[in-house]
Amino acid sequence: MNLKAWLGVSSLVLAFLIPVISGINTYLLTVLILMLVFIMYSSAWNLLALSGQGSLGHAAFFGIGGYVSAIIAKSLGLPPLATILVGGLFAAFIGALIGLTCVRLREWFLAMVTFGFAVIAHTITAELSWLTGGWDGLPAKKIFPVSIPNYLMYEYYLMLLLTVVVVVVIWMIMKSRIGLAFEAIRENELEAKVMGINVTKYKLMAFTVSAFFTGVAGALQIHHFGYITPEVYAIDLSFLPIIYCISGGLFTIEGPILGTILITLLDEGLRHIGLTYGRLIFIGLILILVVIFLPKGFVSVPAKIKSRLRSHP
Amino acid sequence: MDIGLLIQILVWGLYAGCIYILLAIGLNLIFGVMKVVNFAHGELLMLGAYATFWIYTYSHIDPYLVIPLAMLLMGVLGVFIERLGFRPIMGTGKLNEIFLSLGLIYLLQNLVALLWSTDTRSIRSPYSNVLVPMGSIRLPLDYLIIIIFTIVSLIAFQLFMKRTTPGRAMRATSQNREAAALMGINVERMDMLSFALGSAFAAAAGSLWVISGQMATPYMGAIPAIKAFAVIIIGGLGSIPGAIVAGLTLGIAENIVPLLMNSLAGLLGFDMSFTAWKDTIAFFILIIVLVIRPTGIFGEKGE
Repeated sequence: MNLKAWLGVSSLVLAFLIPVISGINTYLLTVLILMLVFIMYSSAWNLLALSGQGSLGHAAFFGIGGYVSAIIAKSLGLPPLATILVGGLFAAFIGALIGLTCVRLREWFLAMVTFGFAVIAHTITAELSWLTGGWDGLPAKKIFPVSIPNYLMYEYYLMLLLTVVVVVVIWMIMKSRIGLAFEAIRENELEAKVMGINVTKYKLMAFTVSAFFTGVAGALQIHHFGYITPEVYAIDLSFLPIIYCISGGLFTIEGPILGTILITLLDEGLRHIGLTYGRLIFIGLILILVVIFLPKGFVSVPAKIKSRLRSHP
Repeated sequence: MDIGLLIQILVWGLYAGCIYILLAIGLNLIFGVMKVVNFAHGELLMLGAYATFWIYTYSHIDPYLVIPLAMLLMGVLGVFIERLGFRPIMGTGKLNEIFLSLGLIYLLQNLVALLWSTDTRSIRSPYSNVLVPMGSIRLPLDYLIIIIFTIVSLIAFQLFMKRTTPGRAMRATSQNREAAALMGINVERMDMLSFALGSAFAAAAGSLWVISGQMATPYMGAIPAIKAFAVIIIGGLGSIPGAIVAGLTLGIAENIVPLLMNSLAGLLGFDMSFTAWKDTIAFFILIIVLVIRPTGIFGEKGE
């Protein structure tokens, strides 16, 4: 096994042991659960970016997954674990439709259409108050009933399991011929077409799969909170996965994970010392500096240090 | 619907359209010369609005006289953003521009929130009570000034681009960067100039916005800028007439469509209000236009 695999396994073991070491610390577990949700979300966004399509409105799929799951769980009385899948599938369906309008568009245009779509989804949700509760939102079933002792711990382990599954599936897609096709399209669409890659098919596939996992992540988050409001479509929620992916390292499997963990910890830390706006200024600065000076993200830091050491012995 | 109301809505639309046009012209200019898109353009509008607010609050000179000062300040800031932000990443891929702009949005919005809190700020224009009679209705003088200001600055801009040496140099750079550089044009200086001018236009939009009685908040820039971006896509990237047509169309459509929908719903017996849909109209138009023509209405095939 190489170093990367070791790091992956040991961090997984650490993640498994955290509740054992810390005991049932509600605050810590909540932070970790949200971190896991965002690891799924960022990895899904990263998969779409791998095909050269940078979405600025992924909160739309996040919210659609959440609302569909909450509504079905409420009206049909199904357990959240089943409805989460339905939420993801519905988000994937909408993702395919949006992908269909986006396949012919270039980067900025696609960014605008996806951003606009999030605004439209926000308005539709807020206006359809008979279904969605309007601005007041909807209560959503908890994944595990609050009456179970230590329900938060079970929730944490479930999220950990699902995150591992999602990340492994995305990793397998990235490693497969599909992932190669995505990268070929991103590097040069025309050349990819010449090589016999069906560009439309793969772009749509990227959109659908990414929307599915985003919808699942959204549904998981709202069943964790127990509540959903149109705030789930906020611009910030579209931007967060982008920030995590860029700072961690775009187009890699470990980038979104590392980025989510580091930025979330930084964010929580700065919030604790009382920086409300300061932390966001800080995150904005990090984003700018990473884009300019570290275009491959934090994951490229070890390689950079190594090459620096080699060139200056 | 009576005719007075219709004219009122048209004027509202013209007024909103002017703000979009001022933003869109700046975006278009920067895109033309540098081939980059600054999604943080709205934050320059926001800073322009705040600059006007503070200068007016402390000096009490006529707010319309503050506009040139706000434009100058934002022009200088634009040069800094170009030098320190967009210059280093030019040519490294279009996604990077989007990401850099995101960082700028976070930085500027929260810097303002930190410095001046998120309270809404507004000023009262000294002309806010002046109504100009026009036929059967009376229009606020501020709106007329804004419309005239936009027309004058568009003409001045067009003259600058067509008649002066730097204007011609900028047009040359936007047509062919390499050839322009070979002809002895300092293309990097043109980048700076385009960013300065574009930012100054955004500042003018922000100043007019706040003078006409709109609230200034740290987050006010996001939606107008994104709509201005929709405007230049609908009109075709790089096309000034396209931006004017699309900007005015959007301004008017935004104000008239929800009303028409309301009366339509009323006729059909539905109890629905479409007033909240105002902000989505730009994106519906954008999506429809792009589905039909992926390069925008006036856009060229290649770029």
